[in-house]
Amino acid sequence: MSVTKKYAVRNIRLCTKDCLCLYVCPTGAADTENSIIDVEKCIGCGDCADACPSGAISLVPFEYPPQQPKTESVVSTLNTLLRSKAKQENIAAGLPGKLAKAIEKSNRIMAEDIIREAGYMLPQSHNTRQFLQSLLEQNPEGFPRETVEKLLTVLYDQKEDKQMKENKILDNLMEAFAGESQANRKYLAYAKQAEKEGKLNAAKLFRAAADAETLHAFKLLEVAGKIGSTADNLKDGITGETYEYKEMYPAFVKEAEAAGNKAAVMAYTFAMKAEEVHAKLYQEALENIDQTEEVFYYLCPVCGNIEKFVPDKCSICGIPGKKFIKY
Amino acid sequence: MAKYVCSICGFVYDETEGIPEAGMAAGTKWDELPDDWVCPLCGAEKADFMKQGAPSTDHAEKPKTVHDASLDMQQLSPLEVSALCSNLARACEQQYKAEEADLFKELAGYFKSVSAPAKDPNFSQLLDLVEKDLEQDFPNAKAAASEVKDRGALRALTWSEKVTRILKSLLHRYQKEGDALLENTGVYVCTICGFIYIGDELPEVCPVCKVATWKFEKVEGR
Ligand SMILES: [Zn+2]
Ligand SMILES: [Zn+2]
Repeated sequence: MSVTKKYAVRNIRLCTKDCLCLYVCPTGAADTENSIIDVEKCIGCGDCADACPSGAISLVPFEYPPQQPKTESVVSTLNTLLRSKAKQENIAAGLPGKLAKAIEKSNRIMAEDIIREAGYMLPQSHNTRQFLQSLLEQNPEGFPRETVEKLLTVLYDQKEDKQMKENKILDNLMEAFAGESQANRKYLAYAKQAEKEGKLNAAKLFRAAADAETLHAFKLLEVAGKIGSTADNLKDGITGETYEYKEMYPAFVKEAEAAGNKAAVMAYTFAMKAEEVHAKLYQEALENIDQTEEVFYYLCPVCGNIEKFVPDKCSICGIPGKKFIKY
Repeated sequence: MAKYVCSICGFVYDETEGIPEAGMAAGTKWDELPDDWVCPLCGAEKADFMKQGAPSTDHAEKPKTVHDASLDMQQLSPLEVSALCSNLARACEQQYKAEEADLFKELAGYFKSVSAPAKDPNFSQLLDLVEKDLEQDFPNAKAAASEVKDRGALRALTWSEKVTRILKSLLHRYQKEGDALLENTGVYVCTICGFIYIGDELPEVCPVCKVATWKFEKVEGR
């Protein structure tokens, strides 16, 4: 399912100033001095368009789908007609009277329509961009060069710029999310250490700070738009866990073995086996997503294995089943 | 008694009924209509009507000549570049991009202003070009577009071919009637497809592109 991002625009000629749009708009984007809806604030929800009694608001996409590609023979036959219509416009322009004036206009309209279908429907298209650039190559007297340059800037640079900024923002969000998530786990590990040493105040502070980082991480992930429906999230879980147990950990295990680091080998192996179990459980949960009968999960507190019943002992690390934690 | 259908707008002339309010009594045969009779709705000529139920006489659409020119910017005349710019201005307006639309209009104006005027223009040159379009270039373009199922191009070609037939009809009438054709009557152009309407009572929608006729523009004399 792909959804094109859209934003609302108001046709001022149709607007009857009933202002229901102001009332329903959740972000205040419709509330501007000049009646032009604020693109920066608009989230494309369409509430304003639905509420408007005069049909003055429509949603337009940020990106238009590309025009159907044009074959050589279509372009060349259309070009022949374009040439003829332009000639007729020119002849009619030199003749007196209302009919000649109407014929001049009529031919211009046909020429526009024909050229549009010869691959120039969208101002954002590659064709249009090339056309504008080709205009800059010639420079006869009085040619409004700045107009062409301005068009090139507003049509293409701004868009690329905006896209780049948006990409950068997403990168930053995900980087911050990774940092906050790591800090959370690190502080929890530090809290455990502090408890072991009997430094209970420090342990408390670490736990509080760890919770704070969790709040930050949740917010960042939400803003980045990375939290989907539960079905989507289960699929994402499957992808992540599968990658870890099939590719990431096997490679790590090999490297640790080669270096003779037994502790690392064990940590990787436990995690790898547990991730495989997680991936399977996510898959099951996805298949039974609408099941209402309650399911219990049991977590091995040593290796991270998860079972749906209490085992005699953990199938991965071997600790007794009575140590498992019920969820 | 037979019926004849206008291939431009779909108007049906029924011999049984005639058009009494226009002086054609019920029972007036198609062949009895004067040669310069035109469709009361869109102004198409008699030749643009087809007998209802007769096998379609749509010309077998095969390209006659092959042109190999592609849309090479260096080859476009200033007026063609102007049309390209005003087309893009329209496209910007449809996307509510007012600033860009104005910039393209400015370019269109510039290129129209530097276009060399036609030498010794006259109406029969127009008629020659219209006839060449209809006989050769529309069939070629339609064949090329149908071959690759280019629906956009076919749509544009259908509209502009119909409008060109109307131009042919108007040019014929103007040859015969001269300025009397335009006396005391409005002249309108459909701003969407280019259809020209002569008269004062506008139909509700354009006979060619079916847009509501508030999109028509009245042409004032010059
Ligand atoms: Zn008609
Ligand atoms: Zn029209």
